[in-house]
Amino acid sequence: MEPVLLRARGVPGSRSIATYLAAGGYEGWKRALGLGPDAVVKEVLDSELRGRGGAGFPTGRKWSFVPKDHPGPRYLVCNADESEPGTFKDREIIEHDPHQVIEGIAIASFAIKANTAYIYIRGEFVRWATILEEAIGEARAKGLLGTNVLGSGFDLDIWVHRGAGAYICGEETALIESLEGKRGFPRLKPPFPAVVGVFGKPTVVNNVETLACVPHIMTRGAAWFASIGRPRNTGPKLFCVSGHVNRPGVYELPLGVTFREIIEEHCGGVRGGRKLKAFFPGGSSAPVMTADEVDVKADFDACAEAQTMLGSGGVIVLDDSVDMVAVADNIAHFYAHESCGQCTPCREGSDWCADILDRMAAGHGRASDPDTLLRICRFSSEGMTICPLGDAYALPLSSMVNKFRAEFERRIADATPLPQKRLPVLPWTGPRPGFGI
Amino acid sequence: MPKLTIDGHEVEVAARTNLIEAARAAGVFIPYFCYHPYLTVVGQCRICMVEIQGQPRLALGCATPATDGLVVKVETSARAKEAREAVMEFLLANHPLDCPVCDQAGECLLQDHSMREQRDTFTTHMAETRRTFPGYERRLLGPHIVQNQNRCIHCSRCIRFTQEISETAALTYKSRGNSEFIDTFDGRAFDDPMSACAADVCPVGALTVREFRFRKRAWKLSSTPSICPGCSIGCNIFIDHHEREVHRFTPRENPAINATWLCDYGRFLADSLNEQTYLYPQRRAAGHMVRAEWGEAIAALALELRAARPLRVVASANLSNEELFLARELFGRHLRGELAVPLAAGEQRRMRNGKGEWLHAADPYPNSLGARRLGLNVVDGEGLSRFLYGGAGLTLILDAEAHPFLAGAEALQLLRVGATAVWMRCEHPLAGVAGWLLPAASLASDEGTFTSSTGVVQRFAAAFSPPGTVHRMPTGAMSPECPTIASPWGPPGEARPLWLVLTALARELGAPNLDLASPAEVFTLMAQTDRAFAGLEWEALGGLKLDESFRERQHVG
Repeated sequence: MEPVLLRARGVPGSRSIATYLAAGGYEGWKRALGLGPDAVVKEVLDSELRGRGGAGFPTGRKWSFVPKDHPGPRYLVCNADESEPGTFKDREIIEHDPHQVIEGIAIASFAIKANTAYIYIRGEFVRWATILEEAIGEARAKGLLGTNVLGSGFDLDIWVHRGAGAYICGEETALIESLEGKRGFPRLKPPFPAVVGVFGKPTVVNNVETLACVPHIMTRGAAWFASIGRPRNTGPKLFCVSGHVNRPGVYELPLGVTFREIIEEHCGGVRGGRKLKAFFPGGSSAPVMTADEVDVKADFDACAEAQTMLGSGGVIVLDDSVDMVAVADNIAHFYAHESCGQCTPCREGSDWCADILDRMAAGHGRASDPDTLLRICRFSSEGMTICPLGDAYALPLSSMVNKFRAEFERRIADATPLPQKRLPVLPWTGPRPGFGI
Repeated sequence: MPKLTIDGHEVEVAARTNLIEAARAAGVFIPYFCYHPYLTVVGQCRICMVEIQGQPRLALGCATPATDGLVVKVETSARAKEAREAVMEFLLANHPLDCPVCDQAGECLLQDHSMREQRDTFTTHMAETRRTFPGYERRLLGPHIVQNQNRCIHCSRCIRFTQEISETAALTYKSRGNSEFIDTFDGRAFDDPMSACAADVCPVGALTVREFRFRKRAWKLSSTPSICPGCSIGCNIFIDHHEREVHRFTPRENPAINATWLCDYGRFLADSLNEQTYLYPQRRAAGHMVRAEWGEAIAALALELRAARPLRVVASANLSNEELFLARELFGRHLRGELAVPLAAGEQRRMRNGKGEWLHAADPYPNSLGARRLGLNVVDGEGLSRFLYGGAGLTLILDAEAHPFLAGAEALQLLRVGATAVWMRCEHPLAGVAGWLLPAASLASDEGTFTSSTGVVQRFAAAFSPPGTVHRMPTGAMSPECPTIASPWGPPGEARPLWLVLTALARELGAPNLDLASPAEVFTLMAQTDRAFAGLEWEALGGLKLDESFRERQHVG
């Protein structure tokens, strides 16, 4: 497939607006301004573009939920809080082609009639926040943003807002709270952000990659976009492959390729000729898949059918040298650390799981532990919590216990501590992140 | 008006009622910890999970509005029950089992729920070390609130209280996830004017009131509905007492006045109800105060009252409507004396009602509007000085605390002329000039009504009979004797509520229409004769019901 979202990767000076304009940039924005908001929403609906942030919700439908007759302001938020373990695609887009995102934001804002858009970017992404600021400045200087854009009478301001380092702020309602200057606690839904969002106003929150697709839909048409991938799972998708493969990295492939193709053809197979043991199809919060499931298609529906999810497309590959108890322990620690602490099952359960897995890894596992883990996971997911963070740790952990139960039981029977395989952390000698901007 | 079925009971509730309240109306109990009727719904504790027929996922009782035709299963749903059990297991995984030494025991929602639903069935799978917050077990957050973070179940009620009700946003979460804890914003002292309400709303023993800690186990307390005597807003309270001692005030729900809140000033007046310096009637004889019997005192006072020319009566806005009415009828109308009710300006107080509106009061009396509505002569300090100026046959001061002027040198100078009879409870300079010193009973053993600054006539009940009255001993036998100080059934003394003394005086003075047996009878008479009380009925005066569900709702706030 010819690259779409990553077409500027490797092009010298790809970040500048001149390069972007020379490659036909902002044509989609001009076309959108001529079409009118409703036609833009229709075009995106027809393209069957689905949200790339993890949930895979149809983007056009999300836009159409914004109340038509709302009198006050509305907002568009670009979610660049890329913090899912194993995911590094948004950074890649911003690094090489920030104007693609800016143009997508402009078109989306126009479609929902928002005059203010925010880019909520992960706090650690200082460099990419600067890149976006520069790109916004360039676009504004060309009259592509600001008041009365290109004489259309439409005003648009884009602000970059850096997060403060919480995973949970990637969840759209926690992101909104954080953007408002509050503690990043997810909100109880309903009402959904499309009705009550930033500052109580209708808000659409879209992922960077989703918005980056929008200019291409506007320039090349919905039919072209829908022709990529397979029905209901259309368009190009960035897969961030990490772990035990020979060539890890970000790959742009049409939705619907198999995981085997991603791992074996594009990433050069498992490193050192070892055997594939398991892989996470969409970041660490997606239920794990075994080597037998490698022929599943990498798209939203096929993954759902296989009882996992495509999530953000962060494929984490594990070879047969990996101990699943160590993986589970690592993941449980991440979620215990990132749980916001608001609702009971996730606050108590995530830490409890981490404690149990720590104990197992230290060689003190009990026979009842796998069942206790499954019980905790069962009551932390499927609507037991306010936001999906409960599912984010419960589903992968329970999938690991279910699919690799023998390994967990062997670890308990062995009663020997796992070797510590954590990489040493080097002291940071450069400038402190967070003070550069 | 949506109509829904909860556990087989059909119920019709107002639109936008949530399932917890709808179930309450249907007689089904949905447990909750973080839900509070006057705070925003956050759905944090997850214990109110219920099953709704036709929905794949369990729903939250607090966040789901009642809609027409909903079929809700609470007790009858195995799935919901299982989920609630799991939530309890999560909560108890890290909650200390220190109920025996926890001050909240007996009025703890977590304990109540545990006892109600899981008495015999609770099992935990927890084998890990319990989470603790070293150094946060006994921390003073402010002048009145003691924090034990180990017991916190992270319901955020206290935080929401400071954000939404007292509007100081003094409390906040710090840290994240399992190590999250409650702290004051910026480390400042939590000295909110309503700070103790944070302990009221705390469903567990994480926040407790410093003044009440370890004073009394909650189950020993009896609660009597009453009205806060602190200002004219008239917050509804419970007097929590045991063995004729008042231990605390707790707010009693009244959406129109104080919702479920109480300011710290009013709350901590509770201890003042136990003060009783003067125990017996006393008469000045040859410069000394001599103990007298009530019968003797009433007969002698009646004689003096008949002869007094002129008769001056200083009433008080601390007195109930019934007492003011009796005073007006007896001293004003029957004996043709002059009456005045002195009012002093007090500190500004405010209270938030159930609609979120602030009510304000600038006077420290619970019944200033009642005195006005009874048509009494309301005077300020200067007016009181004019009122007391010049000789009088007899001056009655029905409440020594009626005005700060009465404690001043000028008042004492003025009252040295002529005879004076003073009702008082605690040490007061007027004792030095009083010819008759009559012990007044506290609000806890008085009964009657106050008119709030918003014009609502509110009834308060007597928590216990006045000291020294005939009452039952623990054996059940009648005790004619005055209890001694060491006796567990009451303090000594013969202090009597004013209404009782006034009706006795009426009998003695030949005013049989005022010789009434209870404040209820006085109120009925008052309702017949006074326009301000027309149409009101004693029994119907709000908020005195004390059934279990009502009480439960009070104590969770």
